[in-house]
Parts: sequence; structure tokens; C-alpha cells
Amino acid sequence: MAATMVSSAGGLLAMLNESHPLLKQQALQNLNNYVDQFWPEISTSVTIIESLYEDEEFDQNQRQLAALLVSKVFYYLGELNDSLSYALGAGSLFDVSEDSDYVHTLLAKAIDEYASLKTKAIESSADAESIDPRLEAIVERMLDKCIADGKYQQAMGIAIECRRLDKLEEAITRSDNVHGTLSYCIGVSHCFINRREYRCEVLSLLVNVYQKLPSPDYLSICQCLMFLDEPEGVASILEKLLRSDNKDDALLAFQIAFDLVENEHQAFLLNVRDRLPTPKSQPLESANPRSAEPVSGETEPSTASEDVPMAEGASVSSTSAPEIDKSEETYSERLTKIKGILSGETSIQLTLQFLYSHNKSDLLILKAIKQSVEMRNSVCHSATIYSNAIMHAGTTVDTFLRENLDWLSRATNWAKFSATAGLGVIHRGHLQQGRSLMAPYLPQGGAGGGGSPYSEGGALYALGLIHANHGEGIKQFLRDSLRSTNVEVIQHGACLGLGLAALGTADEDIYDDIKSVLYTDSAVAGEAAGIGMGLLMVGTASEKASEMLAYAHETQHEKIIRGLALGIALTVYGREEEADTLIEQMTRDQDPILRYGGMYALALAYGGTANNKAIRQLLHFAVSDVSDDVRRTAVLALGFVMYSEPEQTPRIVSLLSESYNPHVRYGAALAVGISCAGTGLSEAISLLEPLTSDVVDFVRQGALIAMAMVMVQMNEASDSRVGTFRRQLEKIILDKHEDTMSKMGAILASGILDAGGRNVTIRLLSKTKHDKITAVVGLAVFSQFWYWYPLIYFISLSFSATAFIGLNYDLKVPKFDFISNAKPSLFEYPKPTIVPTTTSAVKLPTAVLSTSAKATKARAKKDAEQKANTEKAAAAGEPSTSTNSGKGKSTEKDGDSMQVDTPPEKKAEPEPSFELVTNPARVVPSQEKYIKFMEDSRYVPVKLAPSGFVLLRDLKPTEPEVLSLTDAPSSTNATRAAAAAGLGAGGQQAMAVDDEPQPPQPFEYTS
Amino acid sequence: MDPKLTEVSQYFERFKAACVREDIDTSANLLSQLKVLLTSFRSLPPLFEVTPNAVQELTIARDIYEHAVLLSVKMGDQDAFERDFFQLKPYYTDARKRLPRSPQEHMILGLNLLRLLVQNRIAEFHTELELLPAESLEDPCIKHAVELEQSFMEGAYNRVLTAKQTVPNQSYDYFMDLLAKTVRDEIAGCSEKAYDFLSTNDARQMLLFSSDNELLKYINEEHPEWEIKDGSVIFQKAKETAPCKEIPSLQLINQTLSYARELERIV
Repeated sequence: MAATMVSSAGGLLAMLNESHPLLKQQALQNLNNYVDQFWPEISTSVTIIESLYEDEEFDQNQRQLAALLVSKVFYYLGELNDSLSYALGAGSLFDVSEDSDYVHTLLAKAIDEYASLKTKAIESSADAESIDPRLEAIVERMLDKCIADGKYQQAMGIAIECRRLDKLEEAITRSDNVHGTLSYCIGVSHCFINRREYRCEVLSLLVNVYQKLPSPDYLSICQCLMFLDEPEGVASILEKLLRSDNKDDALLAFQIAFDLVENEHQAFLLNVRDRLPTPKSQPLESANPRSAEPVSGETEPSTASEDVPMAEGASVSSTSAPEIDKSEETYSERLTKIKGILSGETSIQLTLQFLYSHNKSDLLILKAIKQSVEMRNSVCHSATIYSNAIMHAGTTVDTFLRENLDWLSRATNWAKFSATAGLGVIHRGHLQQGRSLMAPYLPQGGAGGGGSPYSEGGALYALGLIHANHGEGIKQFLRDSLRSTNVEVIQHGACLGLGLAALGTADEDIYDDIKSVLYTDSAVAGEAAGIGMGLLMVGTASEKASEMLAYAHETQHEKIIRGLALGIALTVYGREEEADTLIEQMTRDQDPILRYGGMYALALAYGGTANNKAIRQLLHFAVSDVSDDVRRTAVLALGFVMYSEPEQTPRIVSLLSESYNPHVRYGAALAVGISCAGTGLSEAISLLEPLTSDVVDFVRQGALIAMAMVMVQMNEASDSRVGTFRRQLEKIILDKHEDTMSKMGAILASGILDAGGRNVTIRLLSKTKHDKITAVVGLAVFSQFWYWYPLIYFISLSFSATAFIGLNYDLKVPKFDFISNAKPSLFEYPKPTIVPTTTSAVKLPTAVLSTSAKATKARAKKDAEQKANTEKAAAAGEPSTSTNSGKGKSTEKDGDSMQVDTPPEKKAEPEPSFELVTNPARVVPSQEKYIKFMEDSRYVPVKLAPSGFVLLRDLKPTEPEVLSLTDAPSSTNATRAAAAAGLGAGGQQAMAVDDEPQPPQPFEYTS
Repeated sequence: MDPKLTEVSQYFERFKAACVREDIDTSANLLSQLKVLLTSFRSLPPLFEVTPNAVQELTIARDIYEHAVLLSVKMGDQDAFERDFFQLKPYYTDARKRLPRSPQEHMILGLNLLRLLVQNRIAEFHTELELLPAESLEDPCIKHAVELEQSFMEGAYNRVLTAKQTVPNQSYDYFMDLLAKTVRDEIAGCSEKAYDFLSTNDARQMLLFSSDNELLKYINEEHPEWEIKDGSVIFQKAKETAPCKEIPSLQLINQTLSYARELERIV
């Protein structure tokens, strides 16, 4: 190569000093060719070249060449700013398509520069257009080149970054795979666009593009529209799909509805629903949206009779369906279905059935806890009750309470309040029967008023929990209860209940009701009122916040201030920059409690955005505020800001977790717990592990709870530390000398670890990467348990069932199999604890082995005898889930499977590398990537999703379908009787006994 | 023969003739035209393309630049010397394998060394020297320059001045005259540092002037700050250098302490 021919650029540089312009030109050209090699030599003479560039008499082209040369030299010197400005001077000589480090670096620099200028211009919005047109030209050249080369993703990224929506559109429409690019673009806009306003612009552009396509991807459009808060758009799409003759379109509409519901945006969903036309005729089959569900025969009557407030409209089903034309009929039938879905009832109902039928909670753990806590220690006593509620959240299984009525009745005052409220958690989502379940405790207007205010308040709170985010039917009742009482405990419960039920609806009337409670200036009621107002106004950023702030300054009660502070924080949920003024106001307040609210406001406003500014602010407060409460909350708030990137959180808080200040350590533990919840992230566990044996009791408490949140639904096969942690919890609970605080933490942690019958996880993002409002709000309020234990129940809002539920056109759950392409042991339920045999709970090390061997055998046996024992299996509520159908050798063991003690070597068989699972199935988050659908299956999913609600297309519609999930929980009466006996006053007990108790629900004990 | 090459050689002949005639303006003009013509040869550095006439072209280009260097010496234009020498250099270093060695090479290199010495660019002088192959050092032209430099460094200024008589080439004269002046400047600088004053007589001897008049002229031109009083030259001592700056110890200590405190607060 010629470049190696010369050893120095000295000659060429000398030539630059020649007087003849031609010589200079020659020198420039040659230097430009050799600059990569000789830049150190040239750099000493760069001033000469600069002066050539500035020389007006020089030929334009030569000046550009000089500029290019200078730019390259500066590039090599690392002076990118100078380099860029000269590159701009080089005009067209700067070739964007050249494949060299220099061009790449400068392009990146130019784009950065341009993007930041554009952003600044738009954000200040006043004096725009100060951008160098040459810079713009370079960026445009780059964009055009990317598009021309087919690098659409690159072009889109640059366009988004530079706020060139025109180019973005061009890139998308010209790309070869428009759908792919669009979905990529949506992902990008959620991950990388920090400003909400701008994200909205991008998304609305995307929606436009989508709609122009010949075959629009309605699923994605509707997700965008939801973010943009445009219910009309969604409603019209849904209507169009429902009107279609094609059954698949209707399925798609249902799928869209389910996906929207998953984001838990109640106000939006109601809006969409109200915009859909009401069905004109009511065909017999779908008269009642709920009876479209697979409700078993025996529960049907009770549903119809007790579900008064909600069924009214629909159950007056006109028996004389007039003979309108067929299409209108199917249309209205579909309409009814979709309204059911949108109101959330369908999904809640199905989830409830799933949780109920797949409940695997381990009563022995609770029993052990109960026996080990001291009688008089009310903290641990109520912790156990909380733990039970969390463990059975949403399963409607209250066996434990029923079996321990005497023990339960020791709860007094606020403990009674939370014990009653616990029922709400257990029956969460039991919409139809919720009210009747709680009836014994509810305030009876004037009818003797036998109950204690604590259980009455608790019951109202419980109603709120049952109807959380779907409180249409119960709102009125809660309001009436609130208005008709002036007992502060009942007001407390009612405020919380109303807030939960009307979450985010911004209902003015309810707001006024709660406000009047607030103005009574009672500490207990006022606190709940503050939170309730916040819940009601979640994410509205309404003017009400300043009203609340004013009252917070006025009142003397710390509890009220704290409630209001949190409430104000809730109102700015997800508003990002819009909330900045309010945050500023709060964080600068004199009152530490308001500053503490400011931390929550930061946490919620920037929740899941990983916004650098918010993180910086929080870190600043975490180390500089004078109040421990504020510092703790600031660290904790980091968890909320970071939950979309859980891998980052342990790194960010790792230093803080070693702080000398226990409050900061506590905050760090919870921050990791919140943002890594349900991920089982290894770094998170390593960070929390030392904190679980901290010297300060409350740090241990926080660490244990956080650890449980991280490890929820994991078993020992996926991380051995889960087993260690379980044993640690057991040890803490059994240890007589352990501090109450950490003991309580351990009890709660065991509840969270096995939450919802081991079928739920804590998930703050929906599968489409949108925030789940309810879940985030739930965790935020939950983290308040530091001050007020009953708020622990809010954690149930963040639980989401880890299930794959496939639905057919009738929204029923057909039986079909699909594959989980991983070892069954990786994701199976944790092994149930063994029955403590006659003597004490002393365990031999071999005992674990033999029982696990037994368990495997029991499963193998069941597998073999499945056909014979079908009814047995059904009774166990475990329709061959996780059964091992890649068997082969496992059947060999049948013969000796009844023996009690088989040597452990026996089970050392190769584990199958996949398993067949049956709809509906438990699919834990880490399992999702292994889920495959079988090619020859009868059902084909409308959307390829590994979990959640998935509509199935039936390829053989003529054949009869086998349905599962038909056993609905029907424990109403039994529960009422049992629990009433424990909690209620004597009179109620008598009343309750009248109801004939039903036999307890089928429950599988491990033999 | 390539028409271009013919053209160049014709110009070159005229240029050489002008040089011989000592017609400076014409030769400078011709040289400039020649240089422009040379740019069209692709075989010249830095391209070194292999063309059929490469050797002729390179040779003629080298000759042109050699003449250019000599011309600049004649004109007493040091900048032009430097420029031309640098353009010539690739023909010596990088074209070594393509061309027979130029007879003028060592002379020109020696001239360049001398120039560096005159301009007191000792570092560059040594750099150049290091780049020369060992056998070149034996050449009288180079040797001359090296010896000069050694005497110069030792302070044996009289030897430097006497070396003028032994120049290997008459074109060296120009630089030798300049060198005398460099030496004188050096001596003047040293005396200034070393003495408060000197008698005019001593100063004259020291600065190697033959008469007091020359001395006075030199002082007036080069060192107007020197005073001549009562038959002696008084060197105005350079202004007392400011005392060494005090180390701001207290401030540093305070700063460090406050950093430590901040660090404590952070964790």
C-alpha cells in the first residue's frame, strides 16, 4: 500500500507553505490520504491548515478539503467538538457512508448533538430553529442512507432520538416488514423515551401508521391507544371486529379486551365499555355475562340469588328473544361477552377458579407458625393472620381460620380489624359473593349494631380488597356505610375500602364523601381518608392534590399528614415531568412527613421509567436528608423507579445496603424487594442475604420480607438458596429469643413466599410492558406497613396469577395440552412440608429424602393409574397438572410405590426434559420461555403468549369439547359460619349457625 | 521520452542556467513552475507509483529540489531552505531503493545540520543525526557539522570560529557567518548571567570583536538594555526572579479534611 511508502509527512507539510495554490492543493489532497498515519505530525501544523480553511480566496472545494483534514486531525486528538464543527465545514466531502472509525464516531457525535439540540429546542419551545442547517443535513443524510440500506431499526432509533417524526414514519412505511418494525418501535418508545409527552406523540404516530396498513395489528394498536388514553379508538376497533362475520375476528376482539384488562387501568376500561353500544337483544345463552362462565350446577342458584347489585341489569333476561336477523344476534351476544371481559369480571372469575382449583398452600407451615408464636404476643399473632391471608390470597380457602376459631378470637381491637380484613384478601376477586361473605361483619344499619366497630371497619376494608379496582357494584354500599357512621374505626375501613374499590376513577362524589371525613380531623379516620383520596385520584394529577397539601399543612395530626402525603403522591402516579412542580414543593417542605411524601411522589411519578433525574434526586435525599424516615423512603423509592430494569437495582443500592444507618439499609432491602419482586434474581438474593442477619431487628424484618418478595414462587431446584431461606425462616419463627420485629418479618415472609396458594407472583409490569397500576399502587401502600400494619394487605393487589388460561369462543376453558420444554422439577411446586408425626417437630435429615421420594412416587403412581383414578384426581383439584407424561421408566416403580421407605437411590432416574401441561396451567414467569404449543393440537392460540389469558381458535369446531375449570368455589356459607364464630359477637354466631355449613372444600393433604 | 518529462527537463535546464547566472528572480520563478509541474508525476513521493519513467522522474525531481535548496542558501532564505529540504528528504529516505545515491546528498544533509545548529535547534539536530546511517557520519560534510556542534556544546567557541576556514563546500559560508553570530549571542547570554559588569576591553575580547566600534554596534542592535559606563559594560541583571511560590499548605489541609468529612457523610 502506498501509505507505507513514505516515512514522514514533513515534505507534504512543507509543501503547504509554498506560495503556489496548486501546490497547496496537492499537499492537502495527499495529507488527507495519509492523515490516518501521520496525524501526530500534522497536528503540529494544524493551524496552517485551519488558516487555509478560513482563507476566503481559496477555492471552495479546497477549503472544504482543508476542513475535512482539520476535522480528522482533531478527531485523532480526541477533540470531538472541534472535529465536528470542522466536519460540518467540510460539507459534502464528509461522506456518511464511509466505513471508518472517524466517520462512525463523528456521525454518532453529530446525531447526539442534533438530538440534544432538538430536544432542548422542543422542551424550551420558545426559541427553536437555532440548529445549524449543516448539522441537520448530515443527520438527514445519515437517515436517508440508513433507510436506503434497509437498516430500518437504526433509522428509527435515530429518528426517535432526534425527534424527527417525519423520518420515523418514512422509515416505518418503507421498511420491508412493517409489523416487525412497528412492534420494535413500540418497544423502543417505551424503553428509551423518557418524556411522556413525546412518547405520546410517537405512539399516536404509530397508531396512524398502523391504521393505514392493509392488515392492522389490532392488539398493538389498542395497547398504544390505551397508553394515549383514547377509549373511542379502542371502542371503535372492538366494535368493528365484533361486527365482522368471521369468528376469528371476534376471538381477536376478546383477546384485545383481555390484554387491556391485564393493564388494570380501570377508568379507561370503563370508558371503553361505556362507549360500546348496549346489546339490543339479549339472546338467551348470554343473558348474564357471568353465566357465560363455566359455573357448575350447584353454585348456579347461589350466584343468581345473592348477586343482587351487579346481576340486576343483565339477569332480567328477556326470555322472549325476538327473531331478529342472525348477525345482529351474534353481534349482541359478542357484545355482552366483551363487556364482561372489559369490566374485568371474566378474567377475575377465571383467575379465581384457577387459584381455587390449583391451590397448593401448605397449611402445615401455618400450623407450625401458630404453634410457635407466643400466646400473648399480639404482634406475632396478627402477623400469622396476615400471613395466612397472603398465603391464601384469592383462593377463597379459609380452612385455617375455620380450624382455629378459638385462637382467632384472641384478636382484639385493631387486630380484629385486620383479621376481618384478611377475609377480603382470601376472597379477593370473589365479586359475586363478596358482599354476602362479609355480611355478618358489616355494619347493620340500626339492626342492633351487635358487631364491634373493629370488625365492621375491617369488613368494609375487606370489601374494598375483594373488589379492588373493580368496585362498580360495591361503591354505593361503601359510600352509604361511610356516610351513616361516625365511628372513626368504621370510617377508617370505609375510606380504605372506597379508595380500593374506586381506584383511579376520580369520582367526584366519592371524593367529597371522603373529604368530609378528612375534615373531621380525627387522626385514625383522617389517615385512611388521605390514602383513600389518593387511591381514588391515582394518576389523575388533579388539582385536588394542592387541596390535600393545604390541609396537610393545617392539621396537627401526624397520621393525617402521613396519609395525605401518600395520597398526594398517588395522584401523580405515572405523570413523570408533569409532577415535577408538586414534587419540588413537597421535597422542599419543612415537615419531614411531607418530604417523605415527596419521595413517594418521585417513586410513583417516575415508576418504572428508570429516569436518571429521578434516581439522582432520590440518591441525593437518601444521603443528605436529616430525617431517617425520609432517607429510608428515598432509598425504597429507588425500587419503584427501577422496577422495569430489575437487574440494575442491586448494583445501585449495593453501597447503600452497607450504610451505617439502619434506616437506609432497610430501605435498600425493600428497594431490591420491590424492583426485583418475583424475578428470583441472583444478585438481588446475594445482596439481601447478609441483611437477613443484620444487627438491627427492623432491618432483618425488611430483608426477610424483601427476600420473600424476590423468591416468590421459586423452588429449590432453580436456586438452592430458596431452601436455605425457608429453613432460616423456620428457625427464626421457632427461636424463642428472636426479636418480635424480625419474627414478624419471618412470619410475613413465609406468607409471601407461598402467596396465593403458590400460584401467584408479584408482577409490576404487564406482559406488554405497561405498568400495572393496581400492582404498583398496592406495593406503594404496602410499604407503609412500617407505620400501620393493616396496610400489609395491599400487597395482595400486586399479586398476579401465573397461569396460562386458554379460552375458546364461548370464553370457556377447553382441555388441551401443550409443552413446557424444561425439566418438570425446575418449575414444580415446592415440596410440601411433612406432617409432624406424633412427637415433636424434630426432623431427621433422611426424612426429607424419603418424603420427596414418596412424593415423586405418588406422582408417578398417579400418572399410571390416572385413568382408573380420574375422579380422585379431579377431587384433588389437580387435573394432571405437572404430571409426568414423558414417562417410560417411571411406571416401573408402580409396584413398590406403596412402600413407605424406599431407598433414595431408586429415584435417581433421568428426568424427562419436557412435560405436558394441561390448560389451564400454572406457568411461572421463568418458565414462560419454555412454553410451546403442539403443532397437531386442536386449538391454536390467537396470540402466541406463554401465559395469561389466551383465546384459542378451534380447528375442529364440530367435535365436542372437554372443559375444565368447572368447579367454582362455593364456600360461602361454610365460611360465613365458621369465621363468624371466630370473630363475630355472640349474637351473630347464633345467626350464622342457622345456615347449614357445607362440607369443607376438597383439599389435598399430603399423605 | 514522455513529453511532460521533456518539458520538465527543459525548464530545469533553464532554471540551472539562471542559477549559474545568479539571476535569482528568474530562477525562483522557474522553480515555482517546476514544482507545479512535478505534482503531475505519479511516481514521486508520496505516491511512488511504479511508472516506466519512474527513475528518470525521481532523479530529475530530486535534482530540482537539490538545486532549490542551494538556491535558497544563495538567497539567504532559511524558510525556503527548510521547505525545500523537507520536500527533498523523501527522495533520500524513502526512494533509497529506487535511485542511486545522489552525489550532493551528504552536502545537503550537512547543510541542513548546520542550519539547525545556526537556528540553535539542537534537539532537531540530534534527531537528524540519529537518522543518518553510520557510514554517512564519516563523510566530511557531516563530520564537519558534527564537530562544530561538539565544539559549540563544549563552549570552545574559538574552535567554532576557526572552523570557518575548513568548510567542505563554499555554500557553507552563509551558514558559517550566521553561526558566528549564534556563538556571539550565546556568549552574550552567558556573560549576562555570569557577570555584573565587564570592562569594554574584556567584553570585546569575550565577544570576539576586533574593535570597540563593532562591540558598540552589536550592543546597540542586540542588547540595548546593556549600559556602557566608565569604560565598562554593565549588564542589567535580569529582574530578580520572584521568590518561589509558597505552598498553600493550610488551604490544602482544609480541603482534604472537608473531603474526608463529605465522604463520611455519603456512606
